[in-house]
Amino acid sequence: MTKSRSSRSRSKRRSAASRPWLGWLIKLSIVALVLLAGVAVYLDAVVQEKFSGKRWTIPATVYARPLELFVGQKLDKDDFLTEVDALGYRREKSVNGPGTVSVASNAVEMHTRGFRFYEGAEESQRIRVRFSGDFVAGLARMDGGELPVARLEPLVVGGLYPAHNEDRILIKLDQVPPYLVETLVAVEDREFFDHFGVSPKSIARAVWVNLTAGEVRQGGSTLTQQLVKNFYLTNERSLSRKATEAMMAVLLELHYDKPEILEAYLNEVFLGQDGRRAIHGFGLASQYFFGRPLAELKLQHIALLVGMVKGPTYYNPRRHPERASERRNLIIDLLADQQVVSPEEAAQARQAPLGVTQRGSLADSSYPAFLDLVKRQLREDYRDEDLTEEGLRVFTSFDPIIQSKAEKAMTDTLERLGKAAEGVEGAMLVTNPETGELQAMLGSRHPGFAGFNRALDASRPIGSLIKPAIYLAALEKPSQYTLTSLLEDEPFSVKGADGKVWKPQNYGRTAHGTVYLYQALANSYNLSTARLGLDLGVPHVLKTLARLGASPDWPAYPSMLLGAGGLRPIEVAGVYQTIANGGFNTPLRAIRSVVAADGEPLSRYPFKIEQRFDPGAIYLTQYAMQRTMVEGTGRSVYNQVPKSLTLAGKTGTTNDSRDSWFAGFSQDLLAVVWLGRDDNGKTSLTGATGALQVWADFMRRADPLPLQMPVPDNVSMAWVDARTGEGTRDNCPGAVQMPYIRGSEPAPGPGCGLQAPAESVMDWVRGWLP
Amino acid sequence: MNKQWMIVLVTAAMLPGCASVKRGAIPVVDSGAPVSEEVSVRQPNRRANAPAIAAQSVPADTGVTVMVPQQSSEPLQTFGAPDVAFSGESAQAPAGGTGQWTPPAQSAPMPAPVQRQPMPSGIPSSSGTLSADEQLDGPVLALLTTAQQQQGGGDLNGAASSLERAQRIAPREPQVLYRLAQVRLAQGDAIQAEQLSRRGLSYASDRPALQASLWELIAQARERQGNAAGAAQARERAKVSM
Repeated sequence: MTKSRSSRSRSKRRSAASRPWLGWLIKLSIVALVLLAGVAVYLDAVVQEKFSGKRWTIPATVYARPLELFVGQKLDKDDFLTEVDALGYRREKSVNGPGTVSVASNAVEMHTRGFRFYEGAEESQRIRVRFSGDFVAGLARMDGGELPVARLEPLVVGGLYPAHNEDRILIKLDQVPPYLVETLVAVEDREFFDHFGVSPKSIARAVWVNLTAGEVRQGGSTLTQQLVKNFYLTNERSLSRKATEAMMAVLLELHYDKPEILEAYLNEVFLGQDGRRAIHGFGLASQYFFGRPLAELKLQHIALLVGMVKGPTYYNPRRHPERASERRNLIIDLLADQQVVSPEEAAQARQAPLGVTQRGSLADSSYPAFLDLVKRQLREDYRDEDLTEEGLRVFTSFDPIIQSKAEKAMTDTLERLGKAAEGVEGAMLVTNPETGELQAMLGSRHPGFAGFNRALDASRPIGSLIKPAIYLAALEKPSQYTLTSLLEDEPFSVKGADGKVWKPQNYGRTAHGTVYLYQALANSYNLSTARLGLDLGVPHVLKTLARLGASPDWPAYPSMLLGAGGLRPIEVAGVYQTIANGGFNTPLRAIRSVVAADGEPLSRYPFKIEQRFDPGAIYLTQYAMQRTMVEGTGRSVYNQVPKSLTLAGKTGTTNDSRDSWFAGFSQDLLAVVWLGRDDNGKTSLTGATGALQVWADFMRRADPLPLQMPVPDNVSMAWVDARTGEGTRDNCPGAVQMPYIRGSEPAPGPGCGLQAPAESVMDWVRGWLP
Repeated sequence: MNKQWMIVLVTAAMLPGCASVKRGAIPVVDSGAPVSEEVSVRQPNRRANAPAIAAQSVPADTGVTVMVPQQSSEPLQTFGAPDVAFSGESAQAPAGGTGQWTPPAQSAPMPAPVQRQPMPSGIPSSSGTLSADEQLDGPVLALLTTAQQQQGGGDLNGAASSLERAQRIAPREPQVLYRLAQVRLAQGDAIQAEQLSRRGLSYASDRPALQASLWELIAQARERQGNAAGAAQARERAKVSM
């Protein structure tokens, strides 16, 4: 303005002498004005466009299953507290606001935070949970009301980020804790509520300070200018950028009111870097540094975070606790000076520890294998932009307690195996057999390492894991096969369809003569199994495997009967899931539902089942797999778990122990473990000495419910002679009870009158035990 | 002259900006929402029902049909433990009312229940006793009631979601599977309705009334799939079960 006025006066004076100058000047100033106006219009459009639309892109957040609480639930108190701690609940003497917990010897009181789930909201409430042994014995509201069931908010498993990313948890101004706004204004922009975007007073002060110091020491930026800088501009430090910033700040203030600007600032401000992820806004910073929601922060936490605005890296409380602490206390003093807080409050806050958690509990690297699966499943239904920008909430079945037990089982067992496990990789999956939900996943023996996800991608020969499919195919024909059918376990050879002569071998290269069908499975005898499979037909066995849930494109060679074909661990889990779930096939699910940022339900991944097998045939197969654990190749499990824990499972070992497998289940947990080398090299681990050890260690930690399958209507129990497999009576020596499909049981034999002495009964039994 | 021009120009430049948005009426669309800070007030009344429901659960332990007071039209149909009148045997009712707590049957010790049996069998007891998770008690009843309300309000997805929650708590409770099958049928998924009913049947031995209802549901699901013969067969089974 000054410029144009002076040029005009000058041109007037010289108008007579140099007329063309005047014309030029007028034109130039018009051009300048138009340009300036154009810039203003442009900036105004920029300011409004970005501020009034979707201000931020928010990565999708992936949640674990919420922990359900109800009387009779099997839940160890320590496990419960682990989860409560991970959720950032603070232990206090008595419950004192949301996010606090008070622990007594066998009861826990807590004030839950509340959460909005797919199908409705869980209120924030004060509850008391009583434990007895491994069970929840009581659940009630602390106001005395009854509470049949409650759930905690779910733990965040991770987020779905684009390559370089900002992350934030949006907060609203009315959700911020006391002192946050006061502290921010006191420290960063005392005139915030009075200025119009720029503060001449602050600028004058800054200019004075910088001039006297001879260098740039202080900025006179208002909160509005800082917001504009972060929100719209680059980090460049120049006069023209400064001018743009000031102009935009004024424009922003013209259009929006102070609370609006303040809220945007609270969400925008950069407060730290977590690997590739930039921590923006106080909402996420609160979770990242203190592991709890913003609303639960106290004065000392707020002072720390506000202090970090000046230099998030320099004042990083995890890296430089002393610096951060000094800055925090400086700010507390400032608040006391300005009488924002009382001297007593200030003194108390100064004495409090920093309260920063060990590490960012939201790091997206904590459970890479499971997140990998979630991403893959989501990509089938959502575009990448939806996943990284729309702030979706993804609810999964991931169980952090189970996961941590699986991780420990893998790590500890491989350590215990020592040299034998050197260079050996691993994968593990845990599901709930009754719902088909995936609860835990390891894609490597090193749980935290992202990368090749063996649980999903490593297709390896399954060895004897194929055998239950063969025995199931046989037991589906009760007129031909029962658990006590006799099989020949003798060497033989056949010419396969590929023209090669196939000569199966037993492990240990010994033949076992005539054995019961269930013994051949329990002890994983190759010769008898191969013969049985050939009798049934290889294509028929493969068809059975497909009905169980895996349809690999294996050629129908006899060698497939002993597991020469490869499956991925997740496919194995699907197959065993069908056996564990009474013959009902359930597609494995990791995601329960997806909800939009505003809480609107988007999609649900419902429980789906399909009956594929007769429950009776499955019951008998499970029975034989239980015998595997009691007396067969899986029996070493009971070195680690109590005998009362009924389990069913199967070992798998491939040639030269290149693959060590175990798959099995209890009532409520199914787990598949694979161990082997990535280069497919030899190991010294069989299914029993390798994978089973991890599996057993896991089951010991998880302490699941014993397997208890309801007896199907078409199954009856019959007394048979353990030596002959013929029908007998319950009072005869060596009589054992066996399940049969109705009509296939042996005819009951005559009674035995006097019972043989107990001792000799035991001898009979011992002799019969393999 | 120049000055006027300038003012006009600047004003013209600023006006649209000033005029376009009124203060306090900014069309802001938040792209995300707070994750755990919120306390939603979507269904403020839902929890208020809980005490009443829990009180209603008392009769469930005696093995009679429970009727839960509903806002919605249909009564919640539930089935108690094996009814003495049906089986003629004395069903061993599990000890403990709602106030007392007994740990769920935790161990099926090997050697198995049959005393004389020298060999472990792993075969569960098939006597009249129900394992604890088949009792329709507090949490399951509360969730079935929630689901009923959601279904009554037309929120079938919410109802299915609540029922799956109940199923995770009591995976072997056939009544949960029965209700889930009903909701699936209402959602038009007749195939899943039949499958879920079948799964329910596998847990419903000794519960003839429930078996009959499950077969009836299978019949409806088969009708919906255009399988009249199958539906008739299922109806026959429903009669036998009763």
